[in-house]
Amino acid sequence: MGSVAAFRVTQINASTPTDSELIARTLGGDGGAFALLVDRFQRKIYRVAYAIVRDDVEADTIAQDTFIQAYTHLAKFQGRSEFETWLTRIAINRSRDSLRRRRFVSLFTGDEDDETREGWIEPVDERPDPEREIMAHQLRIAIERAERKLSTQQKVIFRLRHYEDRSLEEIANLLGLRSGTVRAHLFRAIHKIRKELAEWVTAKEEASNGNETL
Amino acid sequence: METKHFSEADLLETYYMQPSEATPIIEHVNNCNQCQDRYRRLAQKLRDAASCPAEKPATFWARQRLMIMRAVDHARERSRSNVRTARVAAAALLAFMLGGAVVYKSVEPALKAPATVVVKQTTPALPSNDDLQVPRDPWQSDELKDFGAVVQWESWVPESESSRL
Repeated sequence: MGSVAAFRVTQINASTPTDSELIARTLGGDGGAFALLVDRFQRKIYRVAYAIVRDDVEADTIAQDTFIQAYTHLAKFQGRSEFETWLTRIAINRSRDSLRRRRFVSLFTGDEDDETREGWIEPVDERPDPEREIMAHQLRIAIERAERKLSTQQKVIFRLRHYEDRSLEEIANLLGLRSGTVRAHLFRAIHKIRKELAEWVTAKEEASNGNETL
Repeated sequence: METKHFSEADLLETYYMQPSEATPIIEHVNNCNQCQDRYRRLAQKLRDAASCPAEKPATFWARQRLMIMRAVDHARERSRSNVRTARVAAAALLAFMLGGAVVYKSVEPALKAPATVVVKQTTPALPSNDDLQVPRDPWQSDELKDFGAVVQWESWVPESESSRL
């Protein structure tokens, strides 16, 4: 019985190679190994990119570019950090570039640097509390509107904090900044948007709770 | 004594800034049921708003993976081609250098030979015989003089002059 269990463990270990094993195999010319790495991290990378750029198509492109860049520079990966962290850094840099490009284009076109999503309706599935879902949707729109006041760096930091729920230390590590710098950026970002958000939250809260004192 | 409650904006900032337990707002929130309740509801709302809108279908990930692997294959192919070109260039350079070395070796003794000192002669050189013997009439040359009688009739030299000659 014990030998069977041991065999199964060995089999599982053999079928789930570590990141460094897959990297070594990729560097040795095994394209299938890189496909496994893509499969392992593509959702997380897409999610980070989406959290920052807030656009499906752009996040998809960034995720693809991230893996292609990772592949072409894989030999330079020294393993000082986790492969996932390295990939996330690439994705964040790409997303930040994308935000900057969008802002630059908006200087000439006169459009808002972030897309207006007020008319955009998310697919709402059958949840137990649709009212809460609608409120979340409206708050999301308010946050996106408030985010327009932020600089690119502040936006990246705020979005990693808000959508990805990353700690300040994690954000600092991913962006290659000091924790104090990230804290300062986030503080300024929140001061820019807190008035609008807090007013919205208070107004909705009062509306939903009637006369209940907040 | 009336307790001062914190505003929504303060609670919002507290939520994002991850303050330590020692800050006045957190201390207050921990001790005030009303603020604690508001803070909890605010945090819940923000978390709801931050949730990813929709999970992607499996086909989305499969397509993305396919696109990535296709691009990776292109990159690999390009890299191989670059390596091949670099190898050919390196081989050509090596061949050129080896050829150069061989040629240099072959001419090296001549290059290393002591240079001959040419002493300038002060006396002017005599003119060579070639300069002195310019044939006045080509028919008077050694090769053609035997044919002089044959071609005389068609010569452009006037009769009077030919008789004089």
